[in-house]
Amino acid sequence: MKTKFLFYIIILAALTACEKKLDQVPISQASAGNFYRNTADFEQAVNGIYQALHNIPNTYDYAVRQNELAEVRSDNIYSPGTSGVRDWLPINNFDKTLATNPNISGLWNDDFNGILRANTVLDKLSVELVPDNTTRDRMEGEARFFRAFYYFDLVRYVGKVPIFDHVATPTEALTIPRSPVVDVYTLIISDLQSAISKLPFTYPTTQKGKVTADAAKGILALVYLTRSGPNYGIEGPGLATTEYNQAITLLDEIINGNRYALQATYPAVFAYTNENNTEILFDMQSVDPGTTANAGLGTELPSWMYEGAYGQKFLGFAGGVDGDGPKVPSNSLRSSFEAADTRDDFSILPSYTDLNGNLQNRAQFIKFLDLTKKPLIRFNFAINYPILRYADVLLMKAEAILRGGTGTQADVDALVKRVRDRAGLTASVWTNVTLDQLLAERRREFMAEGKRWHDLVRTGKVLTAMAAFDASDDVANKMNAITPNDIIYPIPFNQLSISPGLYVQNPGY
Amino acid sequence: MKQTKLLIAALILLLPSLLFAQQKQIKGKVSDETGTGIPDASVSVKGTTIAAITDAAGNFTISVPETIKKVELRITHIGFPEQLVTVSGNEVSITMQRTAKSLDEVIVVGYGTQKKRDITGAVATFNTENLDERPVPRVDQAMVGQMAGVRVKQTSGLPGRGFSVQVRGTGSIGANNEPLYVIDGFPLEVSRQNDNGGFSTGNPLDNLNTNDIESIQVLKDASAAAIYGSRGSNGVVLITTKKGRTGKAVISFNAYAGYNERVRKLDMLDAEGWIDRSIDIINTNWVKSGAGRTADQTTAQRKAILGTTSTNVNFMIDDRWLMPGHPGLTYVDWQDEFFRRGTVQNYQLAATGGNENVKYYISGNYFDQKGITYGVSNTSYSVRANVEVQASNKLKFGLNIAPTYSIINDPGVDGKDLETHIAASLAPVVESTAGLQTAVYPFINYAWAGSRVSPVERVKQMTGQNKLFRTLGTIFADYTIVKGLSLRSSINLDNADATRKTYVPFQVAQIAATRVPSGSLSGSKRLTFVNENTLSYIKTFKEKHNVSAVAGMSYNSFKFDNWSMTAGTYTTTDVTTLNASTNNTATSSETKNVLISYFGRVQYDYDNKYLLSASIRKDGSSKFGDNTKWGVFPAFSLGWRISEEKFMQSIEKISELKIRGSWGITGNNGYDGDYNHLALLSFANYSYGGVQASGQILNTTNFPNPDLSWEQSETINIGLDLGLFKNRIITSFDVYNKRNSDLLLRIPVPLASGFSSALTNIGEVVNKGWELEITTRNLVGKGLTWTTSVNLSHNTNKVEQLGPNNTPILFNGGFDIEHSILTVGEPMYSLYLVQEIGLLTTQDITNGYPRFGNEEAGDPKYLDANKDGKIDANDRVLSGHPNPDYIWGINNTFSYKGFDLGFLIQGQQGGKIYSMFGRAVDRTGQGSVDNALASYANRWRSPADDGKPGLTQKAASTFGRIKNTDWMYSSDYWRVRTITLGYNLGGLVKNKKVVSGARLYITAENMFGKDKYAGGWNPEAVNTSGEDYGSFPLSKGLVFGLNLTF
Repeated sequence: MKTKFLFYIIILAALTACEKKLDQVPISQASAGNFYRNTADFEQAVNGIYQALHNIPNTYDYAVRQNELAEVRSDNIYSPGTSGVRDWLPINNFDKTLATNPNISGLWNDDFNGILRANTVLDKLSVELVPDNTTRDRMEGEARFFRAFYYFDLVRYVGKVPIFDHVATPTEALTIPRSPVVDVYTLIISDLQSAISKLPFTYPTTQKGKVTADAAKGILALVYLTRSGPNYGIEGPGLATTEYNQAITLLDEIINGNRYALQATYPAVFAYTNENNTEILFDMQSVDPGTTANAGLGTELPSWMYEGAYGQKFLGFAGGVDGDGPKVPSNSLRSSFEAADTRDDFSILPSYTDLNGNLQNRAQFIKFLDLTKKPLIRFNFAINYPILRYADVLLMKAEAILRGGTGTQADVDALVKRVRDRAGLTASVWTNVTLDQLLAERRREFMAEGKRWHDLVRTGKVLTAMAAFDASDDVANKMNAITPNDIIYPIPFNQLSISPGLYVQNPGY
Repeated sequence: MKQTKLLIAALILLLPSLLFAQQKQIKGKVSDETGTGIPDASVSVKGTTIAAITDAAGNFTISVPETIKKVELRITHIGFPEQLVTVSGNEVSITMQRTAKSLDEVIVVGYGTQKKRDITGAVATFNTENLDERPVPRVDQAMVGQMAGVRVKQTSGLPGRGFSVQVRGTGSIGANNEPLYVIDGFPLEVSRQNDNGGFSTGNPLDNLNTNDIESIQVLKDASAAAIYGSRGSNGVVLITTKKGRTGKAVISFNAYAGYNERVRKLDMLDAEGWIDRSIDIINTNWVKSGAGRTADQTTAQRKAILGTTSTNVNFMIDDRWLMPGHPGLTYVDWQDEFFRRGTVQNYQLAATGGNENVKYYISGNYFDQKGITYGVSNTSYSVRANVEVQASNKLKFGLNIAPTYSIINDPGVDGKDLETHIAASLAPVVESTAGLQTAVYPFINYAWAGSRVSPVERVKQMTGQNKLFRTLGTIFADYTIVKGLSLRSSINLDNADATRKTYVPFQVAQIAATRVPSGSLSGSKRLTFVNENTLSYIKTFKEKHNVSAVAGMSYNSFKFDNWSMTAGTYTTTDVTTLNASTNNTATSSETKNVLISYFGRVQYDYDNKYLLSASIRKDGSSKFGDNTKWGVFPAFSLGWRISEEKFMQSIEKISELKIRGSWGITGNNGYDGDYNHLALLSFANYSYGGVQASGQILNTTNFPNPDLSWEQSETINIGLDLGLFKNRIITSFDVYNKRNSDLLLRIPVPLASGFSSALTNIGEVVNKGWELEITTRNLVGKGLTWTTSVNLSHNTNKVEQLGPNNTPILFNGGFDIEHSILTVGEPMYSLYLVQEIGLLTTQDITNGYPRFGNEEAGDPKYLDANKDGKIDANDRVLSGHPNPDYIWGINNTFSYKGFDLGFLIQGQQGGKIYSMFGRAVDRTGQGSVDNALASYANRWRSPADDGKPGLTQKAASTFGRIKNTDWMYSSDYWRVRTITLGYNLGGLVKNKKVVSGARLYITAENMFGKDKYAGGWNPEAVNTSGEDYGSFPLSKGLVFGLNLTF
């Protein structure tokens, strides 16, 4: 009888106590339902927007992708491939098969992911949750800056893109087609203008690397220059708007603000020990977590530039570019340096001896590599990747003047001279600098920084420059002739099938 | 004589109280069909507690009070159906019929048992008889090829790796397709088989000792499985372990030992073939690298042209290749060096016995297997105690407990870039100075062979140790409230602690000037707790109305914790643990879900003729949305035993005829992750000025969905059971239609939203098929006996509905474009590939035949399926499906005098496998550093080969790669899984008091077979992205065994 009683108790206890247990909450993750409560939470959400520059898990971070899409693509790197099948070879060779290239899906994925993160903050931010006006303005400025920044990256590479200015549900996303380039620019410009008004000019030392009003101005200047470029008869980044004076105004504000300056030497700009120096307006910050985890904090960029056999000898961990598709600095780039120029000596390693004792006389970029600062794994290089630096501000102004903005030839010559002097070319003074000369100087100054392709596109030179490069440097005869359709990339193939007809592929792919 | 009488009289006088009544002695013998005595059979007198056990020769003596007029003996023994014999005299001879599928057999169904003849659903019974007399290390392995509709796939030959089990095809796209396992009433979920062929939270059959298994039933249709509700739609595997039996202790000792080796070798180019191909590629590269460069230029000339003194392996061959005897170079067959002959041994000691109050079964087992390559092994220790105590005539309680410990060593041999892959694809030429030590410290790699380190040394030196300590325990109490009504309560706990240690010594680390060791320690704890309380009722009304019912509730919680630590920099090369390393990385995570259920079932039959069963279960799960936490799963079934009707009695040939029909709804909750219905955040840290700053972002794979719920599966089953010629032929045929709807499906969302997919309940898949099982006792009697069981099943699988607008969903995009598609009207995960239709000829190029990239003559010719004049991803077409149309198994057993012989042939037809391993050994654009399939010996070499049939594409291609039919193979195979020949030494054993039974046997495993998979080792393989990428091969071997009974 006692036993029977016991059973009843067990069952009753079980019935009443248990059903509450069906409301389980995640143990090892936060859930969106109980996050975004206070300033500290929003700081974390804002940091997440920056992190889209690294975005893991992903093969390519922002720096690597610029290297593939704007350097390999351009006349700075010649990488036709010998026998292997590597993602960047079709980019180098102007193949038409790029719609399935991982670089393209990475671009689309990471940029839109960053946009989602920015939209999340913009949707949730409110005076109730972040009461301090300065802090809230700064957060809004950061989110708007990045939404514009990621959209600008997209518009430069693929032209028309769908506009998401808030967090959309999956069903809503299925109804949003690609918007005309002009509409995308409208969002970019309004976001950047708003960011300029809300962002501070400086940050405390603990927040070095956060985006400033000057950085937003510099990027907006570049947006104007880019928009003002020719349209080549495609729906690309150029709209021929001739907004050079808008650019000059912004660049002058930066220059006159006197918060930035050129470093004394070229290597000082990129030194691991001199990061966040006065030349850097905006960069991708990287840190080595000191472990063997790929935590999305460091960059893999240096190892995408050196050869595998070099890495085997000098780095001691896996990585590096296979011997079948090295990213060799092109002959046309290397032969353009004057003897006194310090920049190629710093940036390019002409040859090395491998583990087998063989001399490998292919050149490679080592601009972002410091063998004394190597991490434990290839993903964790602690080098910041410059996105906008003061030399660029100076040369953009020169470019704006040469393209028809207000200013004199003397202004241009003086701006170019400052950059050339720093490169060690004080003895070789240029006067009456032309647009072509300016572009050549930019090429040397910014090699391996993901600028060359955009420079050529923006100034209307891309078709002629690449045709010339094909003729002079393509000894393997792998490159296809460039056409206007090649100025922008395709959108990812797999996005076309999600809702057939929603997106139309760019012509030529 | 007189003395004896006196003695008896004295005893009667002295001990009157001991004698309740006059006794009569019944002597008897229990034997099997061949006349051999059956030892340890339990003999009891019906209606009393009087019992006896047969001796080694099958003889027994039992004392029965004279008061019992009609003596009915009940004889039971494992492997035989229970028999009731009415005894009239003092002697009896009883023959037990050893029928594999006796209809009177009582089998386990969910929350109860049922006679097989009364079953109205679709239940497959695996005859586990003598499982302990065969060398089978895993329970899932024992199930291969045994039951119709149950596909047991060995996706990897790695020792200790769980098999994938599919009941009636696969109905779920994104969720689990593995069944629910119920071990002695304890339901245990298995996670979906992951992309590398493993089970992320372990497998319920891990460390489960095969020798302890009493029976296995698989509930296939909804009416049988719906009592398991939201976890029933992939079928339910009921496993019952051995129980103690009344009688004197029976001790058995089972041992086996043997060897195993790889089933086969992959046909790769030999060293000459590799050199020939490399020369071809290098010369082509050279000629293309600039003007004035020709294939006949020597290495010296090439260096002169390039203005260098060093050797560029992309453009220059190794001159030693062409020298007689290739001085300084050694040719290696890596597969021969990599694989070895392994060994296997197992020892089990078990004891069973008991009396009316306590029954026990205890066993201990030691298993050890050395795998077919170095460093791969599996050692396990397991103990089990199943004890039942009859505390009073109303209360029974029991304890089942099975602590186990296993150590599986796998240095990393299964999948992409791991050692089995390398053993196939590493160039078969090395520097003689290094030999098998190629690229092992202090040697460097052979310059023309890439930088891979010798796989033989890697497996010998690397550590990959998986330890699993698992305890499976159940306590239960059974209380009879009134006759026919009983209450059962059980508490079950499964605790599995797994750890994995890895260590790679610097000597075999990837080649570099500074080689460093690496290591890690990781682990998990899986805790499943189940409390179940059931009330059972059984009663017969008016002799013909048989009713049984069960109702209950269950609380189920599942907690999974895992953690890992990775070494940073080792400060010494002598110590492998992480205390010797600085900058270690550590992480951990935990997850938990709870399931609460209420269920009930009623079974009724009228006169054993008309059968009815109905069940319902209500499940509430923490895994689903607030609006949809609860689901209801009903089922019913009907049966008609036509053979019991009067009009059938005259048809003697038909001994059993039953038709069955069932309908029911089951669910599937097996989606990875416990919090999919919530919007979650992920960590996304950044840094400012070199200092980390924590960040959190929306998890982009999780859009919040408060309506997220189970998948539903609705099954209709119609079956026929037929027994002919006194059940000499027993056959069972089932037809089913299983419709899975509201699938847990990740529908693709435009990436521009920032989300990649959204998990929703959408989509429908239908599996239709039939199953046939036939058991024939071809020869019976005292001499040669022969029994055959055949099972054959056919299943087709079709996607009926997908996400919004039924837009096809593409899958498996790793390493290129997607190669699998879900599209309405086609089987799940159909292969979707560009078609290779031959090789491009020079004429094709001239004619402008559409090409992919910069294809040239000798490269593959692809079908321009959409006729748009170019080859690209739009030219993919449906090319086959991964699941076979037919699976089958044939078991034959023979016995003659003391000999027994059994063999199992098993196979499948109609499926395809897409071999990602082709990427390592058969890729367009593959360089000269790797080895390639032997088919490259017979390749296109020059335009003179244009149009020749049967050639492989040329060696040096640079156009790139698009997923096409070249890596698709038929997964058809047949295999003689086991052949066992045994001899019963029973007759030779002199002293029956010491050893009552003995049997010797020899088993050959996987000795014969055939498949069509030239691009890999195993046509059922799964790993890396869900396709084969060099999964570890199956093994074959010979095993010698001994069974002793004391």
